[in-house]
Amino acid sequence: MSDTNQLLEEITGSEYKYGWTTNIDTETAPKGINAEVIRFISQKKNEPTWMLELRLKAFRHWLTLEEPRHWAKIQYPAINFNDIIYFAAPKPKKQLKNLNEVDPELLKTFEKLGISLEEQKRLSGVESSIAVDAVIDSVSVKTTFKEVLAEKGIIFCSFSEAVQEHPELVKEYMGSVVPYTDNFYAALNAAVFSDGSFCYVPKGVRCPMELSTYFRINSAGTGQFERTLIIADEGAYVSYLEGCTAPKRDENQLHAAVVEIVAHKNAEVKYSTVQNWYPGDKDGKGGIYNFVTKRGICIGNNSKISWTQVETGSAITWKYPSVILKGDNSIGEFYSVAVTNNLQQADTGTKMTHIGKNTRSTIVSKGISAGKSNNSYRGLVRINKGAHNARNFSQCDSLLMGDKCGAHTFPYIEIKDKSAIVEHEATTSKIGEDQLFYCNQRGIETEKAIGLIVNGYCKEVLNQLPMEFAVESQKLLAVSLEGSVG
Amino acid sequence: MNATVEKIKTGDKFAELFDRLHTQLPGNASIQSIRKNAIAAFLKQGIPTRKNEEYKYSLPEKLFKTNYSLATKLPSLQITADDSKTFDISGITQNKIVLINGFYSQQLSSVNNLTKGVIVSDISTSFEKHAAHIEKHFAKYANVDADPFIALNSALNANGLFIFVPENTVVEQPIHIINIITANELSLIQPRNLFIIEKNAEIKIIESLDAYKLSTNVVVNMVTEISVAEQSKVQYYKLQNDCEKIAQINTTQVYQLENSHFDTNTVTLNGDWVRNNLNIVVDAENCETHLNGLFISKNNQHIDNHTLVDHQKPNCQSNQLYKGVLSGKSTGVFNGKIYVRRDAQKINAYQSSKNILLSDDATINTKPELEIYADDVKCSHGSSTGQLNEDALFYLRARGLSTDSAKRMLLYAFASDAINTIRIDVLKEHIDKLIEKQLIQ
Amino acid sequence: MLSIKNLKAGIAGKEILKGINLEVKAGEVHAIMGPNGSGKSTLSNVLAGREDYDVSDGQVLFNKKNLLEMPPEDRAREGLFLAFQYPVEIPGVSNINFLKTALSEIRQYKGLPPLDTKEFLKLVKEKQALVEMQGSLANRSVNEGFSGGEKKRNEIFQMAMLEPTLAVLDETDSGLDIDALRIVANGVNMLRAKNRAFVVITHYQRLLDYIVPDFVHVLYNGRIVKSGTKELAMELEEKGYEWIKELAPAV
Repeated sequence: MSDTNQLLEEITGSEYKYGWTTNIDTETAPKGINAEVIRFISQKKNEPTWMLELRLKAFRHWLTLEEPRHWAKIQYPAINFNDIIYFAAPKPKKQLKNLNEVDPELLKTFEKLGISLEEQKRLSGVESSIAVDAVIDSVSVKTTFKEVLAEKGIIFCSFSEAVQEHPELVKEYMGSVVPYTDNFYAALNAAVFSDGSFCYVPKGVRCPMELSTYFRINSAGTGQFERTLIIADEGAYVSYLEGCTAPKRDENQLHAAVVEIVAHKNAEVKYSTVQNWYPGDKDGKGGIYNFVTKRGICIGNNSKISWTQVETGSAITWKYPSVILKGDNSIGEFYSVAVTNNLQQADTGTKMTHIGKNTRSTIVSKGISAGKSNNSYRGLVRINKGAHNARNFSQCDSLLMGDKCGAHTFPYIEIKDKSAIVEHEATTSKIGEDQLFYCNQRGIETEKAIGLIVNGYCKEVLNQLPMEFAVESQKLLAVSLEGSVG
Repeated sequence: MNATVEKIKTGDKFAELFDRLHTQLPGNASIQSIRKNAIAAFLKQGIPTRKNEEYKYSLPEKLFKTNYSLATKLPSLQITADDSKTFDISGITQNKIVLINGFYSQQLSSVNNLTKGVIVSDISTSFEKHAAHIEKHFAKYANVDADPFIALNSALNANGLFIFVPENTVVEQPIHIINIITANELSLIQPRNLFIIEKNAEIKIIESLDAYKLSTNVVVNMVTEISVAEQSKVQYYKLQNDCEKIAQINTTQVYQLENSHFDTNTVTLNGDWVRNNLNIVVDAENCETHLNGLFISKNNQHIDNHTLVDHQKPNCQSNQLYKGVLSGKSTGVFNGKIYVRRDAQKINAYQSSKNILLSDDATINTKPELEIYADDVKCSHGSSTGQLNEDALFYLRARGLSTDSAKRMLLYAFASDAINTIRIDVLKEHIDKLIEKQLIQ
Repeated sequence: MLSIKNLKAGIAGKEILKGINLEVKAGEVHAIMGPNGSGKSTLSNVLAGREDYDVSDGQVLFNKKNLLEMPPEDRAREGLFLAFQYPVEIPGVSNINFLKTALSEIRQYKGLPPLDTKEFLKLVKEKQALVEMQGSLANRSVNEGFSGGEKKRNEIFQMAMLEPTLAVLDETDSGLDIDALRIVANGVNMLRAKNRAFVVITHYQRLLDYIVPDFVHVLYNGRIVKSGTKELAMELEEKGYEWIKELAPAV
């Protein structure tokens, strides 16, 4: 044991490999938040008045709110919201018509991220291809495959573009799932959000490819506040992927995003995240504060929303991708792997609110804590009165590696209908020494064995990911936990 | 008898009340300083609101919206020996202690043949008489900063029970503590108990709470501290049955030392608004702790069981099973937390909460929590809520049982799980009967 | 005793029984055989009154009373016993308490006083011997932790205790090894009587070597497509269910 513990300490804090910065000319707002800054953002984006009004309304509401610091199991110094740059856009040299005109530095960034836009373009039409929207410092820089998708009537573009091109859809749906009154960070986001992704899949259309957004924070001192809005109309299907990275910086950077999903009758949305924001160094210096509000509503009967997340990054993660099961027979799913190492803190989980009849939800959460980190599952299952025959099953497992970390489970279960069947199970354990020994005996070194065992432990969740992401996630898990052992 | 009557409205009135009253309450200088410290802690916390995570599902605010008189003296009402017998548990008569609103009734109690050295006394006289024990244990476990109701009780308790079991002493016969609550005006009643079980000693305590000629609603805020020393074994049973007009916050604070066993059952079959706090600190190795609970709620009742098992040292095990059967417009809450401190390795801790909803208007909120800081542990919890198994119901009916009797049989089977651990046969039979009676209604 | 006329029933909107006709007289043993999905279990569940099944047409008379109108418990009290294919486990309910309650309710229905505990226990002991059941099983929770064989023996034991006039055995042989099969069959044979009838539902002929039927019916696609004596079972065993499919062209 002591050997493996030593190994753990030696190797924990394995290098974050996405920690470069890109030398791109950016245009930034002055530091701080006030009505002027919000007007500046809105003006930069050439927004219609209704959007500016909405931002200001959210801002005024935000001023009345207190930063939520008490209920989640996370600790951090108070954030000075006037010390953040709320808008930083890569400065456009001119209107981009095709990929050749994209800033070559930017293209290099994406190559480093492993998503070459050019490659994406070339692969157009190939079965396994992915349409990508890339967001750097809150601004969408390039969306691929737009034309291919347009043929099917699918709108996939940056949020700013949607505001210009599809104001009726944005007006109808923005804030319908996460209103700005929802919480402190949702209000902040609604006031200062700079961009994000927008997706609309029309009636009866099955989106032929995975849609994907890569988020990247680049500039120093900035916060990232993007918004994603996905609407699946009746009978539509879409699978959406989200990946995130950020450069290594000694300061903490704030990421406060909002994701809204609307699933109409018979529609299905699958949303997968691989979150790998910079977690800070092994002494806890720097790293992203990831305070995100994600929620979907199964508004129509027989609809389904499924969240899958692999959370390995960020100094602090505070997110609860949730589903409101309003339509009868609707289904909500949450599959999560959260890994914390060094001094990372994660307080993550989901909320399943059952309103419609015969609604079903499944929660599978795997938390893995190593180093001196703290990893909490926090979830709510609520069965409203009248949600007849609602079913929920939750499984929350925690794995501890080493004796300096913490693993916690805080499920809230509220049931107001007698026909509900709700089951919750949680376990806490460590990697069995016998499992490790078995692997060792078969010639597998401890570090590899841990990777194997952890991947096995998370299989139920990783299986939910689209192929392209599953492979990446497995590697990511192994890297995040290099040397950690329990 | 003249009870000191003080009108109180809301939490902030308590400061003024305390200033006027505390010198009349029992206790020497050191007790008085505990009281002062406690009132400050209470005022800092106040009556919990929705924002207080620990009271999220049980808002006591409404209990404190009206005027209450603070009961600081024994009520004038006479209870005859015959009347008090109605609260007996048949088969348990040898050691019977009657407390009226927390005040020890010499006349109605009968404690016979206690082993030498065992002390059973009211706490107010024990403050002086057994000052050494008090000094060492009183208010040492129930932390006034952890809960406003512990603080309020610590500041303004008027009386209660003191039990001391010396080293190597086994109290063979169970001790039945009958808490009789009686009042003819809205009252806040705050009994304060301290049970000290010394090394290698054993005791079984049954505590029941019953209303007598209660013409009005009352709030009982009771705090019981139990010190369980090395190698000792304690069985502690709480029966809350006849208390329709009683809102109660009932806190049990247990402190366990090496190789000790603490087993407890909380059975709540009646009550207006009940909040049971059961906090167990396991501060040494090789301890065993068993917590079981059952509640059957109906009408507008609100029953909340809040448990905390705090494993501070390695090599211990704890087990929890709580069951609830809810009907009417009642609300049930189970909030259980298992806490495993850093380096408290080799802990086995299990927790299970199971509930059945019988009506469309009943609500159950559960929050089974784990907070774990040691890796070599086995901890798990499960919570399930559902209905009676339809297949089982059909099976029973196919064998000729009526739907009603089949349901009763299944409900009883469901409930009995949580009382099967009771190791005093006559008590178990007594509770069995009460449950059957409840299920027939 | 039992008269089924043109019984049509199904589950979740799907018709499974498409017109069953069957007459069972006191003292007779009828075997109903059929391939998977032919409707065997539906028939037993409909007879016992499981509420998931809907009867769309037809009539079932049991001792001249309309069986389909009765709730399951009254069917049991009238003397219908179903030995379940998959007896459910009921944690916390002891076998003994369960049987005592069932027996008392059935007796009460018939206007008989309940047995006193002594008589009851005597009966338990006597009937347990019938299925070579150990005393300890009777004290455990109903079917909880029982092996497959123990569950089936428990069903026959209950049948012996409740003394029905018509017993429906739903694939009682499934999951039994040869010894358990023999014990179960012996139990049944000892309970055969002039005033009691049996409907034995099975997939295999094997059971019928032990419980010899007076009549054999072949159920296929929701209908009885062939009836005969015990020789029919032998023929079926030899030729297989494919043979039946030829006999009964799909409707």
